[in-house]
Amino acid sequence: MIDLRAADDPRLLRPRLQVMAGVALLVFAALLGRLCQLQILEGAHYARRAEQNFVDVVPVDAPRGRIFASGGEPLATNRPTYSLHVTAWVRRPADPGRGAEATVTRREPMPDGVLDTLASLLDFADDEDRRRFLEKVRALVADEARGRYATRVRNNLSWEENARIQARLDDLAPWVDVRASDRRFYPVGEVAAFVTGHMGNVSSERLRRQDGTGYRPGDRVGHTGIERQWENYLRGRPGARPRVVDVRNREVEDPPKAAVASLPPYRDPIPGQDIHLTLELDLQQAAFDAFEGVLAGGLVAMDVRTGAILAMVSVPAIDPNLYEQPIPRAQWEAWTKSPLKPFIDKTVQEHFFPGSTYKVVSALTALQDPHFDPEREIECEGSVLYGGRRFRDTHAHGPMNLEQAIVQSCNVYFYTLAIEEILTLERMAKVARAFGLGERTGLGLNGEVRGRIPTEAFEARTGTYQRGVQLNSAIGQGNVKSTVLQIAVLYAAVANGGTVWTPYIVDRITTHDGRLVFETEPLAKPRPPVDPEDLARVRRGLYGVVNDERGTAYSERPRGIEVAGKTGTAQVGREEQKEGDAAIPGWEPTKDHAWFAAYAPAEDPQIVVVALVEHGGVGADAAAPIVMRVLEHRLGAVAATGTSRPAGVPPPLPGTRTPRGGS
Amino acid sequence: MPLGSTLGPPNSRLLRALRSIDWVIVVITASLLVLAFINLNSAAPAPFSSRIVTQLVWCGVGTVAMFLVSAIDPRTLYAVAFPAYGAGIFMLVLVALLGYTAKGAGRWLVVGSTRFQPSEIMKVLLILALARYLHGLPRHRHRPWRNLLQALAMVAAPVVLIVRQPDLGTGIFLALVALSMLAVTELRLKSLLAVGSSGIVALALMWRYGMLDYQRLRIDVWLDPELYADDEGYQTIQAMIGVGNGGFFGRGVGEGTQNVLRFLPERLTDFPFAIFAEEWGFLGCAMVLLLYASLVLWSLHLAARARDRFSALVAVGVGALFFWHVVINVGMVLQLFPVVGITLPFFSLGGSNLLSMMVALGLLQSVSRSRMPG
Repeated sequence: MIDLRAADDPRLLRPRLQVMAGVALLVFAALLGRLCQLQILEGAHYARRAEQNFVDVVPVDAPRGRIFASGGEPLATNRPTYSLHVTAWVRRPADPGRGAEATVTRREPMPDGVLDTLASLLDFADDEDRRRFLEKVRALVADEARGRYATRVRNNLSWEENARIQARLDDLAPWVDVRASDRRFYPVGEVAAFVTGHMGNVSSERLRRQDGTGYRPGDRVGHTGIERQWENYLRGRPGARPRVVDVRNREVEDPPKAAVASLPPYRDPIPGQDIHLTLELDLQQAAFDAFEGVLAGGLVAMDVRTGAILAMVSVPAIDPNLYEQPIPRAQWEAWTKSPLKPFIDKTVQEHFFPGSTYKVVSALTALQDPHFDPEREIECEGSVLYGGRRFRDTHAHGPMNLEQAIVQSCNVYFYTLAIEEILTLERMAKVARAFGLGERTGLGLNGEVRGRIPTEAFEARTGTYQRGVQLNSAIGQGNVKSTVLQIAVLYAAVANGGTVWTPYIVDRITTHDGRLVFETEPLAKPRPPVDPEDLARVRRGLYGVVNDERGTAYSERPRGIEVAGKTGTAQVGREEQKEGDAAIPGWEPTKDHAWFAAYAPAEDPQIVVVALVEHGGVGADAAAPIVMRVLEHRLGAVAATGTSRPAGVPPPLPGTRTPRGGS
Repeated sequence: MPLGSTLGPPNSRLLRALRSIDWVIVVITASLLVLAFINLNSAAPAPFSSRIVTQLVWCGVGTVAMFLVSAIDPRTLYAVAFPAYGAGIFMLVLVALLGYTAKGAGRWLVVGSTRFQPSEIMKVLLILALARYLHGLPRHRHRPWRNLLQALAMVAAPVVLIVRQPDLGTGIFLALVALSMLAVTELRLKSLLAVGSSGIVALALMWRYGMLDYQRLRIDVWLDPELYADDEGYQTIQAMIGVGNGGFFGRGVGEGTQNVLRFLPERLTDFPFAIFAEEWGFLGCAMVLLLYASLVLWSLHLAARARDRFSALVAVGVGALFFWHVVINVGMVLQLFPVVGITLPFFSLGGSNLLSMMVALGLLQSVSRSRMPG
């Protein structure tokens, strides 16, 4: 063996070894110092950052408040379904291919292949729907800041779609996620379509507004009707469910105990509040049925004693359930182009010439003139010449007093009063406004329009003034426009002796467990300056319309109920023939609008019903039967059962009559 | 000896063998291995996963290797030092020619079904060869520059081969170990400083011209990891969070969220210490660092007591091996250094590494056995 000891004595190395040991100790001490800094001094900071890693708070949807008819029948409820969520950017371990130890994780966008697979599993309404879906997801992929959060991209998946996605979830994870959620369900569909309204996706504009309402992309909000008007009550407040997630943002089934302990508390969602309407569902149904065969029109039934809306129908209507699925573009375009305007609530969103129904205003205006004698007879020869123009009537009525002029709907009588300047635009406008015409009634539904009550200043401003315009205005033509609801308020006021109600449809609002939040008190507008005797005189005329054999609606009088009302046949003028009009059989845009406004029982009025049939022709023929059917249904039914729900007794609690979900 | 007297003459060989074992090394190693396996098991995707079992097998192989190597006399080691070094260089050349590539770096040789990393074994072989060279330096005829250059050439050969893989970290690591050994011999401080400063200049030049983009990026990340928090800095930041989250007492084994919820990548290879720090806290870390420090100091102690210069330098080399491994890896986890692929002995998953560490400890045993009494 080699003798290694021939070399130098290793003991000579000792001084440097000692220095080395000292240096080594110092270095270890430095490491320890750094550990002390990170773990003890800054430990709390890093513990918080660790929490930020694994704590994820998912919003818990609050069940939307329901909408009930007066008897507790649900008009809008929720049904469990699935919604599709996409997280476009997910952190994954990446193999950088750059060398050595450099393995990092990075957020990766959803590959096109996954999107294609996903798209192939969904049932699209049409190509447009497909294109919009792809666009939405690609927008998330393009925007990393937004795409890193799970976003709801599709609602109300069908059972088949869900099953297909679940089966392929291994290919789609972690980008795609199906969650349980609710869809809106409208049991009566289009019958109350304009009352309940429908839902839609929250608009990007509203999301941008950042007004603290906390809407998230993909949320559903009310777009029309009660859903829109009472969105803030119906919506509720989403809860928050904290969860422990791993690096792939997946929930961990068995997380470390300390992690669970550091989660923020669970916050229960607060369910939306239930809205109970004054709407009587069976009356609504009857009214809707009465419109069968009518292309376009509207009806309002109102309690003359309170202003509560009992039925409110507009046709054509779109079943609000349809909005819970994507709507094919072809269908949408058909709706948009239709001259029947299915998006418009005919009771409040469009105004019409009131025609002869407006003669009530004219009569009350005349009665205010102290020199006016209602018993004076004016000879009707079928037309009158004024200012070089001939103003026509349906036929020569012969001698007319005020009452008979209403009963037989004589135009010449009112023309004459206008020529005699008993009726002027100013005087009529004063009375009309006192009865709520020309102003929004305050129902607060579906963006009411104001209607129009012309004055001379108005006519001058719009350049429509011409000699004789007050003659046309006196019979509800010219520039007079009003909504169906306004006419209902007017006739209710005539019926109840002069109380102009602010109509209301929301009876009360309760929390989901039945505590009262809000209750509507009937609210009257200032009393119009009319003499009760004058009103009684007009009412006698209205009674004669239906019950005098010369009355315009005599042929439609129902059996068993005493009805008072007024027909209206509003000329629509020379409207342009619009594209598509010809395609609808029975739609004649040149025909007059048919009105009928009535209340019953005539002696003790309870309910007022006003119907408009667009281009229906003569009011007595087209509109009166509809109103009569509704009145018969309401008063006949009441007569049969003795009484409707007595005042002060609340309707049964929601859900007791009709079990929710039906299963 | 009461034990010897009861067992009688037939066992006296065994007894001598037992008595010749350096129990300090064994105890420290065993403690570290136990902690390391607990930690690996906690960090692995499933308890007792196949990778942990493989590591256990390597551990057994390593233990046998350690005792085998410890039985070799330092003089024999001296004799084989240069040929072994040559074999190591040969293997590195083989890697460069037909090595297995993973993660963009060609570091592995495939023998049968196992992958083998020659650069790991080269660490031990370089220590032996350098020790032998330095042993032969005549003390009284100082030709410092020539000697230094020869020694540097000996170091440079494997370093260049490894840096080319590319594995800058291991290259620098080898240079540091060699430098530590040179520092102990009586090469003048002046020349050592010259070597050190030229090394720094060389690094600076590399930074300017020779560094790969990812290496440069890693230094940027080290300087400001938050700037790269979502990409390259993610690893560093998550490691720091893990360490800090441990606090004083630690979260408990299997309870560290950074670990269990997989927020920290590379838990098994380069960053097991972050997991350990999270689950065992400051107390556990201090304990582990103490164990490593004891091992390093014990190596230096053995060097001071070595029978000859070669043994002393081998002991210093092994001490330096552990010292730099621990300092670089832990320093990297604690963001004192940029991320380099230097493992933490025992704690990191990797068979070649564990084996070469055990062999190195065998060398230390051998030195210990032959040391002068007192």
